[in-house]
Amino acid sequence: MTTEPKIVAFTCNWCSYAGADLAGTSRIQYPANVRIIRLMCSGRVDPTWILKAFELGADGVLVSGCHPQDCHYISGNEKAEERVNSTKRLLRLLGLETDRLRLEWISASEGARFAEVIKDFTEKLSRMGPTPFRSKRGV
Amino acid sequence: MENSKVNSTEPRIGVFVCHCGVNIGGVVDVPKVVEYAKTLPGVVYAEENLYTCSEEGLSKIKGAIREYGLNRVVVASCTPRTHEPLFRSACEDAGLNQYLFEMANIREQCSWVHSHEPEKATEKAKDIVRMTVAKARLLEPEEEAEIAVADSALIVGAGITGMTTAVSLARQGFRIYLVEKEPEVGGLVRRLNALYPTMSDPAEILNPLIEQVKSSRNIQLLTSTGVTSVRGYVGNFEVTALRGKTEELKLNVGTIVVATGAEAFDPEGRYGYRRLAGVITQLQLERMLRDGELGKPKSVVMIQCVGSREEGRPYCSRICCMNAIKNALIIKEKSPETDVCILYRDIQAYGRNYEDYYKKAREAGVIFIMYDKDKPPEVSRSGIRLKVSVVNAFMHQEVTLGADMVVLSTPLVQHESGRDLARVLRVPLGSDGFFMEAHAKLRPVDFATDGIFVCGTAQSPKNIPESIAQAYGAASKAGILMASGKVRAEAITAMVNEEICRGCGRCEEVCEFNAIGVEDTGGAKMTAKVMEAICKGCGVCAVACPTGAITMRHFTTKQINAMLEAALTPGRG
Amino acid sequence: METRMEDAMAKTNVRYCLKCGKCTGSCPLARVNPEYSPRQTVERAILGRKDQILRGKGVWWCLTCELCSERCPQEVRYPDFIRACRIEATAKGIEHMCAHGGMLAELQRAMTSPEVKQDRLGWIPKGAKVSGTGDLLYFVGCLPYFDVIMEKIKPDSVAIGQSVVKILNRVGVTPAIMPNERCCGHDLLWTGEVESFKKLAKLNMDEIAKTGAKTVLMSCPEGYRTLKLDYADLFGELPFEVVHTSEFFSRLIDEGRMKFDKSIDRKVVYHDPCRLGRHLRVFDAPRKVLSSISGVQLKEMERSRAEAMCCGVDAWMCNSNSKQMQIERLREARMSGADLLVTACPKCQIHFRCVMSEKLPKSVFPVPDEAKIDVMDLSELAAKAMGL
Repeated sequence: MTTEPKIVAFTCNWCSYAGADLAGTSRIQYPANVRIIRLMCSGRVDPTWILKAFELGADGVLVSGCHPQDCHYISGNEKAEERVNSTKRLLRLLGLETDRLRLEWISASEGARFAEVIKDFTEKLSRMGPTPFRSKRGV
Repeated sequence: MENSKVNSTEPRIGVFVCHCGVNIGGVVDVPKVVEYAKTLPGVVYAEENLYTCSEEGLSKIKGAIREYGLNRVVVASCTPRTHEPLFRSACEDAGLNQYLFEMANIREQCSWVHSHEPEKATEKAKDIVRMTVAKARLLEPEEEAEIAVADSALIVGAGITGMTTAVSLARQGFRIYLVEKEPEVGGLVRRLNALYPTMSDPAEILNPLIEQVKSSRNIQLLTSTGVTSVRGYVGNFEVTALRGKTEELKLNVGTIVVATGAEAFDPEGRYGYRRLAGVITQLQLERMLRDGELGKPKSVVMIQCVGSREEGRPYCSRICCMNAIKNALIIKEKSPETDVCILYRDIQAYGRNYEDYYKKAREAGVIFIMYDKDKPPEVSRSGIRLKVSVVNAFMHQEVTLGADMVVLSTPLVQHESGRDLARVLRVPLGSDGFFMEAHAKLRPVDFATDGIFVCGTAQSPKNIPESIAQAYGAASKAGILMASGKVRAEAITAMVNEEICRGCGRCEEVCEFNAIGVEDTGGAKMTAKVMEAICKGCGVCAVACPTGAITMRHFTTKQINAMLEAALTPGRG
Repeated sequence: METRMEDAMAKTNVRYCLKCGKCTGSCPLARVNPEYSPRQTVERAILGRKDQILRGKGVWWCLTCELCSERCPQEVRYPDFIRACRIEATAKGIEHMCAHGGMLAELQRAMTSPEVKQDRLGWIPKGAKVSGTGDLLYFVGCLPYFDVIMEKIKPDSVAIGQSVVKILNRVGVTPAIMPNERCCGHDLLWTGEVESFKKLAKLNMDEIAKTGAKTVLMSCPEGYRTLKLDYADLFGELPFEVVHTSEFFSRLIDEGRMKFDKSIDRKVVYHDPCRLGRHLRVFDAPRKVLSSISGVQLKEMERSRAEAMCCGVDAWMCNSNSKQMQIERLREARMSGADLLVTACPKCQIHFRCVMSEKLPKSVFPVPDEAKIDVMDLSELAAKAMGL
């Protein structure tokens, strides 16, 4: 089986998910490592899910929302940022590289940026190697 | 954990995998995905379609629901942002609650972005279907709350577009607040000398419109006014505006239309603008022509694409070619001896009678010289005149022109105040700075946010007939909402499991919409309660809850957990 | 370790139930929620209504505080019975009540991985003397994780661990601390995830063996109970002694090695954690420590020692009943005349701090002022009294 990194991306409906769609409409190619979960707002992302993703064997988790000041729900993205920072502290305690959790602001018009982030993240995760939880994935 | 009614019948999921012509089928092995879907627990039926969104595709879904007793439907095709409403509607037609439907995005987020890796794309499509089926298993039927829509609209911008929208809506009987940041109405058109290709006087178009605005009982015109904040949601927006510098106004409207127009790019630092006398912009030329200040210059050189179709502003501003030709013809008419030369990269003569207009300019003796993007013209002083040198792209030779006036055609760009408005309304701007519509093809005057619309050059550079067409489009969309008087709110709202809620109030602390609050339920017990009509479904409260008592309908914690398991453990899910 | 309801019924004396109702009458949960009845659950079990029990809420609401079994004339061990039901329910795929949104459980499950390499030493104060091996191992527990997860209520759980290490160093002990210590597994065990619990237990036993420790010191009563009783249940007699900080400090005081030179002028009342008190019968040691500190006026709550009221939360399954119990207990603490509540359990401390941190407006049943009191862990107070 492949040892390519597996990325789970939590994207917000209004900005980042639309940005990912725009990458598609613009036919911008990027690595097939990411699995996207659509939420209404990045503020919906529960740190428990991030931990669960790693525990189940994800090599990287991307949380993506609207740029500051642009959140459709006003401040959901600010909360997402606080929570991602907290979760990084937990990852550090667990002995995982904090770079495996990535927070990005990607707007609906930034299709190219979405693709770039996935490319960059995939590359960085390949260099980091698989997580200690890899065996869980039965890979 | 949620307090939802447990669905006693087992999920019976139907999966419809779309080829989308070759858009998906040309990359992803659709039959393989269908076979795979059949192996997933809960899936009782799976088929492939050429175009699931077609009449045929939709009736196959409806037929399958009836024939196989499906109680969940998954369509694996494009992004839900295009056709989810269509499929949801088809489900409702077949008697299935629309919230028992989910889409797997295997086009925009799969086949289109992995077109050179068909095997990986197919594996990813399988994963996506597995994840979506995992969520579908846990979907619950939901009912949408109805929200009343106020029969008033806020229109931001009283240029030709904003005023057209205002008059149209006012005629339909709605109350309009027409807000304009300048002391005068009319926008950019007010500053024009003539309109192409008819050469009509802008006043002929503007003045009657202004008259209609001012005389309409339904329109309240507020000039020197800017919108400072907007709270609320479709049907019930609470707008705060500032008139002058001191007067604060509070308006309550059902819909909002953005018609803020655009401004001309300032070519500071280019071609000697502001440094050399005689170098002006097309707008400045309009004023000169209107005020009779043209004089009798010996030679006028116009340069096109100044600041557009380049790094940072890659778009074509659509109107500058015809505008330059218009002004060239006017100059020739007022002063036949004047040499007029237009330096261009391409000529955009796309519209009705535009090719004829260009021909007219050629007949009038206007010279057109094509220049290469990489070899732009140079403007310098030459005695009391200007000297323009340009490499003729056909002759590959440099040509030097003497000029008394150099007119720069600059693109339309977004206002600073437009950017502020985008922030206030929380609507997106495209990478070009203009307001970004909900869907490039299917929803040109909508924002993704319900109840807010956009039209005119605020959305992208366009000419007057195009702006007016959009103005009517936006008026129509807003009108429909206000005429029906109500709108259904998506049933993506928070749900509190009152047994686990400890009434701590953290949800109340984080909600921006005051949609959730702790209430005394008697007997020294407190619990959080959700006001579903106001809840916007962001889910921030659900994460803030320390006990896990809150989840979001249609995006429940269980569903997300199931999707994670499905994404990462091929054997499970 | 019983993993099925029927086995548990035999082992926990459920079949001897007299239906006297003392359990329900004693239950702190039943006091605030009349829907809950241990007596009825037992009745249903005897009548074989297994499904109703396993799928019901009653199985998860139980605080497992053992107040019922303390008073039961037939010595029915109700919490143990409940635990077996939980294990069976989990094995059947029945989801347990949400425990703090599932966050702690995810972390604990993550620790079952043999390959995970945690940072378990970052909280240790600078200059402290610790080692990878030694006769005495300080089993820290999840304190560093608590400080991140509960950051909104500022629990400062890590202060407990730091106090313990400082005290040990002062009395000349260099404790071993495991660099990859796992969660003891208490929460997973009591929410029914027995397989994950076993994995954690095995990993810990291996890690403890590596340190060569003969004594394992714990500041958390839940960890204490888990190692002393549940690990022994799994692995047989343990090759080391397990002791709580209060017991260890009590020993040190007797040996004259622990001296409190600072006076702490506070009216202190001690809250007996369920696991330390009723589960393991340690009532005197913490009180001995407190009485040995000059300036401390030791008060007692009306319901203390084996009668103490639970802090309201079991294995993070906080729910609509918890808050009232917490407020009652805090009120009781104030009524004793104390201005400082001392606990010997980091989780009790978190639960009390949590309820007092709520910012609801006064109009909606707030935490009344007469239920607000300073809360501190025994180790922290002891360290302060030693000038550390």
